[in-house]
Amino acid sequence: MAKSLWMEDAVTLHELFVAGEVRATDIVEHHLERLNARDPVIRAFLHVAAEQARAQAAVQDRWSPAERAERPLSGVPVAIKDNIVTETMPTTAASRILQNFYAPYNATVVDKLYEAGAIVIGKTNLDEFAMGSSTEHSAFYPTRNPWALDRVPGGSSGGSAAAVAAGMVPLALGSDTGGSIRQPSAYCGIIGMKPTYGRVSRYGLIAFASSLDQIGPMARRVRDLRALYDVIAGPDPRDATSLPDTTDATPLSRPWRIGVPREYFGEGLDPEIRHVLDRHLSQLRAEGHEIRDISLPHTRFAIAAYYLIAPAEASSNLSRYDGIRYGFRRESRDLVTLYEATRDEGFGPEVKRRILLGTHALSSGYYDAYYLTAQKVRTLIRRDFDDAFHTVDFVVTPTTPEVAFRLGERSDDPLTMYLGDIYTVTANLAGLPAISLPVGWAHGLPVGVQWLAKPLADHQLLEAAEALEGLLPPVRFPEEVEG
Amino acid sequence: MGLSDQEILHVARLARLRLTTAELPGIRRDLNRVLDYVSQLQALDLADIPPTMHVVNMEMPLRDDVVAPSLSVEEATKNAPQVEAGMFKVPRIVESEGGGDDG
Amino acid sequence: MSAAFDVIIGLEVHVELKTASKLFCGCSTAFGSAPNSQTCPVCLGMPGVLPVLNREAVRLAVRSALALNCTVRPYSKFDRKQYFYPDLPKAYQISQYDLPLAEYGWVNIRPSGQDVKRVGIRRIHLEEDAGKLNHLGQRLGDAVGSLVDLNRAGVPLIEIVSEPDMRSAEEARLYLTELRAVLSYLDVSDLRMEEGSLRCDANVSLRPRGYTGSLEELPRVEIKNVNSIRNVQRGIEYEIARQAELLSRGERIVRETRGFDDVSGRTYSQRSKEEAHDYRYFPEPDLPPLVLQSEWIEKERAALPPLPDAIRQDLIARGIPDKDVEVLVLDREAYQYWKEASPAFSDDRLLVNWMLSDVSRLLNAQGRTFGDCPVRPRQLVELLTLIQEGTLSGRMAKEVLDAMFETGQDAKTVVKQKGLSQITDESALMQVVQRVLEAHAHVVEDYLSGKDKALAYLVGQVMKETRGQAKPDLVNRLLKEAIRGGQTVSG
Repeated sequence: MAKSLWMEDAVTLHELFVAGEVRATDIVEHHLERLNARDPVIRAFLHVAAEQARAQAAVQDRWSPAERAERPLSGVPVAIKDNIVTETMPTTAASRILQNFYAPYNATVVDKLYEAGAIVIGKTNLDEFAMGSSTEHSAFYPTRNPWALDRVPGGSSGGSAAAVAAGMVPLALGSDTGGSIRQPSAYCGIIGMKPTYGRVSRYGLIAFASSLDQIGPMARRVRDLRALYDVIAGPDPRDATSLPDTTDATPLSRPWRIGVPREYFGEGLDPEIRHVLDRHLSQLRAEGHEIRDISLPHTRFAIAAYYLIAPAEASSNLSRYDGIRYGFRRESRDLVTLYEATRDEGFGPEVKRRILLGTHALSSGYYDAYYLTAQKVRTLIRRDFDDAFHTVDFVVTPTTPEVAFRLGERSDDPLTMYLGDIYTVTANLAGLPAISLPVGWAHGLPVGVQWLAKPLADHQLLEAAEALEGLLPPVRFPEEVEG
Repeated sequence: MGLSDQEILHVARLARLRLTTAELPGIRRDLNRVLDYVSQLQALDLADIPPTMHVVNMEMPLRDDVVAPSLSVEEATKNAPQVEAGMFKVPRIVESEGGGDDG
Repeated sequence: MSAAFDVIIGLEVHVELKTASKLFCGCSTAFGSAPNSQTCPVCLGMPGVLPVLNREAVRLAVRSALALNCTVRPYSKFDRKQYFYPDLPKAYQISQYDLPLAEYGWVNIRPSGQDVKRVGIRRIHLEEDAGKLNHLGQRLGDAVGSLVDLNRAGVPLIEIVSEPDMRSAEEARLYLTELRAVLSYLDVSDLRMEEGSLRCDANVSLRPRGYTGSLEELPRVEIKNVNSIRNVQRGIEYEIARQAELLSRGERIVRETRGFDDVSGRTYSQRSKEEAHDYRYFPEPDLPPLVLQSEWIEKERAALPPLPDAIRQDLIARGIPDKDVEVLVLDREAYQYWKEASPAFSDDRLLVNWMLSDVSRLLNAQGRTFGDCPVRPRQLVELLTLIQEGTLSGRMAKEVLDAMFETGQDAKTVVKQKGLSQITDESALMQVVQRVLEAHAHVVEDYLSGKDKALAYLVGQVMKETRGQAKPDLVNRLLKEAIRGGQTVSG
């Protein structure tokens, strides 16, 4: 083999395995080797399940070609963000409060991965409970950006993004509440998708903000992303908000009508990123697509609405961590002291900040002014998109206003960190599918472009992304880069 | 009009979080910066706008009333810090403090 | 202290619904299993779990709401009610806040000597139950800790909130009794207060005459978790007296939650921080709105069984005394027993009379109910028919009933075994009569000379000879005939 197996994309690995040209064991060993070489510095993983992965591979190597073929991800290593519960591996959500927690069940997506033959390599790092944009808010250690080790990989799915970018796995699951798949994908130069809210079961995803959370795929190639999406998407009787299995509306016809919202190209956008985006748009124009200037006027209220809704729901979702049934506990002489001591030691500062903010937003006398108001603004943001999608097929924006920032640069400044989510939170507030694609480079770092489609148009979005792949820079690995 | 220390301590009590006097100023600053930022929403006229409680329009799916196997008591309690007689053990409940705040 | 105030009472009743599985997961709802043996990730509040609503719980709740004359909302939603307590695994209860399942119903009560009174029902909503705490030590206050059993966590409940329409402890008792009766006919719950499948909190306040403010603003005392209807009544009576005493001394009544001690019959303060409670309700993001089609609601309405008010009218029309009607209506098992027996028996008054006296006495003695009465309705009808036909006297029938209770045998079998049947064969009886007349010739003379009492003596002798199996009026007739016949012969 000329090329190391870890450099291959997922679909190719699966095909090689089905054809009997490589063993699953070799695929797993190549990736573990790569992981062992790179992860001591990058620290993308919180838990590596090497022996389980090897055992799975050994089983798959005994499968017939037909058995290999009927499972779309057989032979393919996958990493799982550590806020998705797994029965045979610990699940911590990168929080001390869940240290050593072994869930007695698998998330629906994990069951689906195993059924599809995916080989689970391990659990990846994140900002504690997915609250953050840098993976620095992990209770255990920060993850580094494979392209610049002094920079953050983004977050909260920073571990998954870094693992895919560095070639430790070809595929990973992330979760996206306000951009947590797309932003790290942009920072790490990979592809990440947040499906339509309700497309992928949330059962087993440790809830951050229930009305915004979605699990999604992360990969280096669109067809890999699509293969993983097809495995995890679909209705789930265990998730009452999962959508019935409706196929996407109309097939996509060319030329595409592409909306470029002026609110996403204003003040705060790095000029070099803007330049990369402009070039992308002119390529699209050259391909014959129609570029339209549009307005999404309520975008400027999105961060404010998001930072009321998400903490409010989080404050409720995180109340169950009380040291009684599972997780960390600080023994105390009475119950209230136990609650307070446990939660004080168990949660990190960013989580506490959001719990306080959210508790305040829901408390007596403030509910209408904060939570209800934010949910109304959410309606305005949805209407903006409804209007836009009357005239365009897709909306194209930068994924982030800036490239990956330096470790430690923003950790003391929550509001500035929150404002960095400006381009991604709207898709969560409106429930839309959105993909970030690596579109170029600025300051020597990856730049992401975000494509959004109307709700349920996930397949159209994937179809467009696949067609676009030829316009994107070729897949590279951050070999030569060292911090 | 930001939150006072008193109000923050009240919220912390509701959330069962303990704040030390040392961390209070930092928390107050961070929270008030965010609250100040979100206060821009108050300028919007939202009287006729319905809230979005669920982003996809769907109705409650219902489950048939069929008993599914439970976990074994061992499985149910295996992650618990303190178990006695198959039950989760908690320390003394001081009723005057339990179940809410009295700030 | 003549009433310078009105008593204002409202009740909040929690009813566990009789589903096989819990409200949001598939765990069994069976009572009395080993601690935490009926739990799963969902009802343990594990990270990542989601609730899925039980269809049957919705149906039973709607059925209850319709029977209580409520309007069922075509669109309702679930909310999170948040507080920390070890019996509440998620630290929030999934309940319904501003858009409950049903609203605006009522129950009719019948205070004695007064007209029927309507007590309003403000709302009925669906919610999940909490788990159970077992305190280590005697009381909560001096317990060294508690053990949490989550088998009950997630069992479906409806909360039925009355309007503050009741004006006395007796009215509260009548409301609860009637509510329980209605629910019992629906078969939606076990309704066992001692097992917690029916629970009641009572809100009691006194409104001074001339008070013009809203009821909401009156200082209200909530009596929590009382374990029987009788104790609800006692608790309210105590609370009325306590508050009246405070008012008469010019003291303020504090808004608070109080417990009831059934030994002393007093209420005691539990916490007075009602105002400070902040449940931070917000819409449950994990559950879309519950949308009920009106056709479905109407189908459920049409499927309602006869309910107490209709049953009362029917029983009264059959000539059953009012007092017995109430007893039957309020005991659904007794009513069903009657209903099974009634078509096969012509005399409803006799049937009800036997049920509520002799059968009830035996049931009580054995700690049983009509639902598990060893004498089935068919068997009771057979026994009563033997009385009607004259085969058994009332006294003998009681003896037979005792034996039927013991053995479960049919009346005829018992009669045969004990040789108990009344002698109705006239020729057989006439032989005894002749013997008695010969042996007591002087008594016959007394009778013939006008001493009517003498006949009673002769009847007694015949009964003695037959060991009570003769039918007294038949003996009477035969004696008279024989004496008259003898006269003719001798004269």
